[in-house]
This record gives sequence, C-alpha cells and structure tokens, in this order.
Amino acid sequence: MQEYKRIDIQKDQIVPVAERMRREGRYLVMIHAFINKDGQMDVSYEYAVDPEIESYHVVGETTLPSIAMIYDVAAEWPERELNELFGIEFEGLDTSKRLFLPEDMLDPEGRGQIMVTPLSELVEKNRKEGTV
Amino acid sequence: MSYIVPVGPYHPSLEEPIHARLYTEGEVIKDAEVFVGYNHRGIEKLATERNCIQTLVLVERVCGICSHSHAFTYAMCVEKINGIEVPKRGDYIRVITAELERLHSHFLWLGIACHIIGHDSMFMHIWDERELVMDLLEKMTGNRVNYAMVTIGGSRRDVSDELRRELLDACDKLKAPLDRITEIAVTDKTIALRTKGVGVLTREDAIRLGAVGPHARASGVDIDVRRDAPYSAYGDFEFGVPVVDSGDVYARVVVRALECYESIKIIRQALENLPEGPINLGNKLVKIKEGQAVCRHEAPRGQLSHMVVGDGSINNHRVSIHVPSFKNTPTIPHMLRNNTVADAGLIIASIDPCFSCLDR
Repeated sequence: MQEYKRIDIQKDQIVPVAERMRREGRYLVMIHAFINKDGQMDVSYEYAVDPEIESYHVVGETTLPSIAMIYDVAAEWPERELNELFGIEFEGLDTSKRLFLPEDMLDPEGRGQIMVTPLSELVEKNRKEGTV
Repeated sequence: MSYIVPVGPYHPSLEEPIHARLYTEGEVIKDAEVFVGYNHRGIEKLATERNCIQTLVLVERVCGICSHSHAFTYAMCVEKINGIEVPKRGDYIRVITAELERLHSHFLWLGIACHIIGHDSMFMHIWDERELVMDLLEKMTGNRVNYAMVTIGGSRRDVSDELRRELLDACDKLKAPLDRITEIAVTDKTIALRTKGVGVLTREDAIRLGAVGPHARASGVDIDVRRDAPYSAYGDFEFGVPVVDSGDVYARVVVRALECYESIKIIRQALENLPEGPINLGNKLVKIKEGQAVCRHEAPRGQLSHMVVGDGSINNHRVSIHVPSFKNTPTIPHMLRNNTVADAGLIIASIDPCFSCLDR
C-alpha cells in the first residue's frame, strides 16, 4: 500500500530537503497547498520514497524559497500554479507571466487568486465582465 | 534567417489547445516555449463546493480519455482518510477498467501518431481495433467515456460470469491485431523514417525535468507506480514494465505498443482470479473525516496524483489534482530543439498530451 508520511519542517529547510532528495534520486511528485482550519497556508512538498510518500509541510508561510533551481520545471510549474491559485510568493521565481489563468484575473489590489477568493465574488466579477 | 513560428493554440495535429512558439534558424528549431491555460475550468475550486459522490462525477470530467483514473485516485484518497477498506472484488473491477482504459488510450495515441506521420491506413486499422476495446468498456460500464465505475468503497457495477467470459475471449482476440500493429510499428520503414532520432529526450533530461509514464520509460527511466508503490489490487498481479533507451518518438511508439501486452496480461489475471463477494460497501454518501491523503495512480499517460483534505464536513476542504501532462508538457521545448519545423507537430503529440487534464 502507498503510505503517507507527514514531516513538518521550517521554511529554511525547504532547500536542504530538496537538495538531499535530488541527491538521493527521489522524484518530486507534487507541491500542494491548502488553507488549514486555523486559516494558515499549509504547503506540502511530496517526494516519492517508494512505496511511501514523504510529505514535507511548511505551515503559516506565504513567502517561500523556490526549488526550481534544484528540480527545474518539475518544481517551477507547480510553484507558478500555486502562485496563481493562492498568491504564494516563491523567491527567485519569475511570475511575470501567467501559467493557467488569464492575465487580468487580478484586480487592482492584487486579489483574485481563485482558491482564496470566494466563488460568489468570482461569479460577480465574471457577471460584470459579461462572461456569464 | 531567423523566424518565430507560432503553432496553435488550435493544434495542427491534436484537437487540443496548446500554443508553442518556435524560434527557428531556417527550418531548424533553435528554441521553443509552450503556453497553456486555454481550457482552465477551475475544477479544483468547484470540488470544494461538492460532496464526495458529486466530486467523483466532477473529477471524471477532468479528462475524456483517462476519466476512470481520476475517479479511481480521488476515491482512494477519501477511502484512506476515512479508513475504508474496499472489497477485493471491487478493487479487481477497478483495475480491469483502468487497464481497459489504458488499452483504449494507447490505441488512440498510436493511431494519432500514425495519422501525423502520414500513415493513414495504419491509423484506421488501429482505430478499428480500438473499437473492440471501446465496445467492451461500453458493455462493462454502460459508457464509452466517463465510465462512472467507481464509488467510495468499491465499484458501482459488477462483472457477470457471461461478461467475464466475453472479456477473457477478447483478451485472446486482441492478441493477433496487437501483434500485427506492433510488428508494423517496429519494422515499418515509413514510421521509422519519421520517428527515429526525432524529438530525443535523454535519460538525464527526463529525470531532471521530472518526466513520467510511457514518456519517461521511452527515455530509459524505469518508473511505474503500479509496480513501485502498489495500490488497490495491483500487488496481486505479475506484469512487466517495458523500458526503451533511445528517448526518441520511435521509442514512445514502441513503449506504448508493448504496454498494451502488459495491460492484457493484468486484465486476464484479474478476470481469472476475480474474487467472490460484494463489489462495494453500499454506495453511501460519507462525510470526509478530518485529515489529508495523497494517492498516486499510473494513468495511461503516467503518474497521476490527487490530494484530498477533509474537515469532517460533507464537502471536500481541498482537492488538488496533478496530472501526468503537467510533468510531461514542460519537456516539449527540450525535445523540439535542433529538430525541424516539419516534425514539431509530431514531437508535441509524442508525449500523448492532454491539455484538458493539464488545465483542469
């Protein structure tokens, strides 16, 4: 069975963990994020240590170091996606272009990441623009 | 002379939206960029407003080809959070559907590859054989796509003795056409001329860029979640993982053709040893307990992972879906470099991209 092992780390351990995993030839399955019940951002780096997944969690941080220099596009695309969905900033990551969402998703205050904006607000925005 | 050649977003060979920008010197591609996001539907956002049964329906709509893979992976996550043990027969039926899905997906891609190459008679021949698989899926699940075979705690439809015999017969029937397709794919001069040495992704690059599935296995990377981290009933079956080293489009054709044999092997074993007993735990709507799970499945295009977070309510707190095309699409610019513009369509299509999956 696929087991799931959660390991909580601090922000400054993200890069050393990624470097160790890369050295060991581990595969970066994904970088996931969600907002936990305390309203804090929970970002998890999932590495395949077959047959297990080692999941390194960083909680309560919205600015994180990028690991794109270690895992190349396998980390760059998930980081860009999380930037668009949650507004998480990855230091050193070029987010000048949108990966998935339209360039005009953000309002003048910089809000509009779809996972943190209520659905009703997104519907209202689309209605004003005449797209629904 | 340098040119920038735009390809897509209406793709010239696959009817899917991707935009590639080719930076060329004469006819040779020196660099390339890919742009996605033309089909983003916000499915992860929608999932937070739905319960687990509604989400099964929703995630199946992520992709028209590997719809079962999404429902399968999502269900495994919810079952893991809630500590639900799926009846063995339910697991076997999930695996049979997943492998039939892989067969139809690989037949579909092999056909399209031949069409792009210009070998249209082969394309029609492969798609003709694919219809046999589609008919089986329709008979088994009621649908040609979006099978709705998965429920939380098992499968929704049983396999009768009559259908079991028919599926076993079909495994025999598929052997001869598959032999013919593989022989032509491996030995035909037209296919070899258009695919050998084209769109090479080296083993080092495949590992560095995180390629998955048949795309990685065609570059000599020996990975397969079904074998490396067995889940559902996959631990009960013996099967091989074809790996080819050359990393070109030809290798991708060969790997997919060989994988069809392994899928048939798995289906046969599952049918011959189909356990007695219930197929599910009653098709009930459950609350998703507080917790988090990540599950992986080897979808036809490679490793698919879902993360589900539950907060004890009826709806998902978060569903995160990461598809094989998310890993394979960024490798396209590396494969395009130093190839000709004429091969760009084939190289882009050679990863078996699914932009519907990728955009979610």
